[in-house]
Amino acid sequence: MRRAVVIFALVALAACAGVLGLRKSGPQPFPHRAHVLANVSCTRCHTQLERDAANALHVPDDASCIVAGCHARPHDAPPCLACHAAPEAIAQLAEARDHLAFDHGRHLPRTKGNCMRCHSGVAEGDDHLRPAMATCFKCHDHDAQRDARRCEACHKNLDAGTELPATHLAHDGDWLHEHGVRAASSADLCQTCHAEKFCASCHGVTVAALPATLHFADPFTPSVHRAGFAARHSLEAKADPGACQQCHQPDRCATCHLSKGIAGMGRTSPHPAGWVGITAAESQHGREARRDPAACASCHGGAGEALCVSCHKVGGVGGNPHPPGFSSRVRLTEMPCRMCHL
Amino acid sequence: MNRPATIALVVAIAARSSADPLTLRADALAATQSPAGLVMLETDAKASPLVSAEAVVWTAANPLPGEHAGDVLVIALRAHSEDGRASAQLGRFVAVLGAIRPLQIDGAAGRVQLPHAFYTEAYAGVPVLPGLATSRTWDWVVGARLARKLGDYGSVGIAIMEQRDDGRLASEEVGADAGFALGKRDDLAARLAYDLANPAIADAEITARHAHDKALRFDLYAGYRAASHLLPATSLFTVLGDVPAERGGARATWKAAPRLEVSADAGVRRVDNDLAPALTTRARLALDDTNRSALIGELRRDGASDDAWTGMRGAVRIALPYALSASSELELVIPDHDRTADSRYRGRAWPWALAALGWDSGPWHAAAAVEAASSPETRKRIDALLSLGRTWSGP
Repeated sequence: MRRAVVIFALVALAACAGVLGLRKSGPQPFPHRAHVLANVSCTRCHTQLERDAANALHVPDDASCIVAGCHARPHDAPPCLACHAAPEAIAQLAEARDHLAFDHGRHLPRTKGNCMRCHSGVAEGDDHLRPAMATCFKCHDHDAQRDARRCEACHKNLDAGTELPATHLAHDGDWLHEHGVRAASSADLCQTCHAEKFCASCHGVTVAALPATLHFADPFTPSVHRAGFAARHSLEAKADPGACQQCHQPDRCATCHLSKGIAGMGRTSPHPAGWVGITAAESQHGREARRDPAACASCHGGAGEALCVSCHKVGGVGGNPHPPGFSSRVRLTEMPCRMCHL
Repeated sequence: MNRPATIALVVAIAARSSADPLTLRADALAATQSPAGLVMLETDAKASPLVSAEAVVWTAANPLPGEHAGDVLVIALRAHSEDGRASAQLGRFVAVLGAIRPLQIDGAAGRVQLPHAFYTEAYAGVPVLPGLATSRTWDWVVGARLARKLGDYGSVGIAIMEQRDDGRLASEEVGADAGFALGKRDDLAARLAYDLANPAIADAEITARHAHDKALRFDLYAGYRAASHLLPATSLFTVLGDVPAERGGARATWKAAPRLEVSADAGVRRVDNDLAPALTTRARLALDDTNRSALIGELRRDGASDDAWTGMRGAVRIALPYALSASSELELVIPDHDRTADSRYRGRAWPWALAALGWDSGPWHAAAAVEAASSPETRKRIDALLSLGRTWSGP
């Protein structure tokens, strides 16, 4: 019995290791490190680097492995890299070539053919051999370009929006809620990758449908309105007053509720019992209006404000609506002051 | 399509005269619930390395009462100098100016780099109204920002904005923003907007991050928002006084395994005298090394007193052969307070579910889904969704 439990636990651990990615189950990354340790020069396999054509990947073919005399007898029919390379590696390489303007041919003479000066990751393992951007800055001074946000000298097709930065400006954590405060001081940096339509797709008042609605088949599209937002939006709005007004006009609640038939003619009042009372203690509406004035303004804004000032006016039963110490730079002859003060 | 929308598209495509490349994308979305149909057209064009244009227009079939049948989301022409020290933009776009809230305008914006690492940016235009409506004669907005870069460590800036609504003061704000990278592992960002029309802080936010290593990071955040100062100054509801909403908390994000990321967010919200926790835990597991198949699970606890609620969400996406993918998403919201006695509310809990099949092959993409939901207003709602899109690229 104990042996069965131990065997089951070991099998479960092995399965978990595979699921979590701790143990690679498919093709392994190409053993670059083993080749370097065996004194195989990088350019022996990655040929033609000195004539670096645009979008050339320089991925070795079977001939590089066999004809060079290293692996004379392949043990299997498929191409070597079908099994001896991570399946996503070549796709990632092609994507990097699409987005980076880089010429190996101009670098090889300066490094005297020593690829390790940049590809130092090979000393640690076979993953992540592409140098980080900081590696470039060891030799290249790009302060002026960086200050002018001229990233296109090295980064191509940034506005395609398909690649997230991996080593700097990583959009990790709760980026959806953080991006506003981070973009405040560096909107120009955001614009090096993001086109106008990216910001407008959420922040525009003329949005037809949010990205999560348009890309409904991708459950990982970030959006504050995803999944069952329609059910919980009133609770979220009450928990965080003013959050909706970051993007929406004050009348948005009423417009949407009226169009969907949730409010309007034939509907009962949305306010609970005790909403308006004789004394402040009996009356909820004043407290709620101070907590979330935008919610009130949605229906009672504009011409509807006359309802408020019918009580809250000088000499009215509602008394002064201003808090102690209230001050405003709006002239008494302008709205909304003139509703009561003229 | 409405005439201005057509003009917008034609103008953007006209930039194609010497454009290389040109991208045009068309998306159609159909749903059995109204609005029944939506067609979006996007185009990007680069007339030269220094000049580019983009446009997004849409039209809807059978819009709901009070909603619009078409509009222009973006139509913008951008240009910058060869050295990148000056840039300008013209058209309809979202204007962003430091700590001032983003605002969609029809107008112009520009940015100039000054000596001593200073730079200035400004915009002027007419705030956009939905539905291709002609704005009133005296609707306008102007804003400007002066900022300075602090070497490699960050930047600070101040901004001012004034908006007039039919000639009347609608908003007058100053903002301050800052962002710092404190070494390789720590950074800090903050912004503050101050309402000058009814003097008080309108909105403030600060966030700080520490990356312990590649797998573990911590965030601290705090925010303050006075809703009455986010309304137009012409509104009566701006004179009622402040009951600001405040929030603060900490978040940890841990890449526990190559394919597993876990995060926990523990925060507190305060509105008036109500203090309430805001808790979220989330886990995402990639089901393959390419990250195309993944699943996510999320638990949330939010809201105060009678409006507190607990939510659960799960989603999965599986990559299939022939460029297909299958996805499903489930959510359940359970409010603490049982509202079933109130005739305006339905259900003790509000589930939501979606099952979808997608196809993404080269320039084509298509998807179909069935969505089912229950909400406080509707006991049962079932909707079918269909989308089809194609992208064309220039020579």
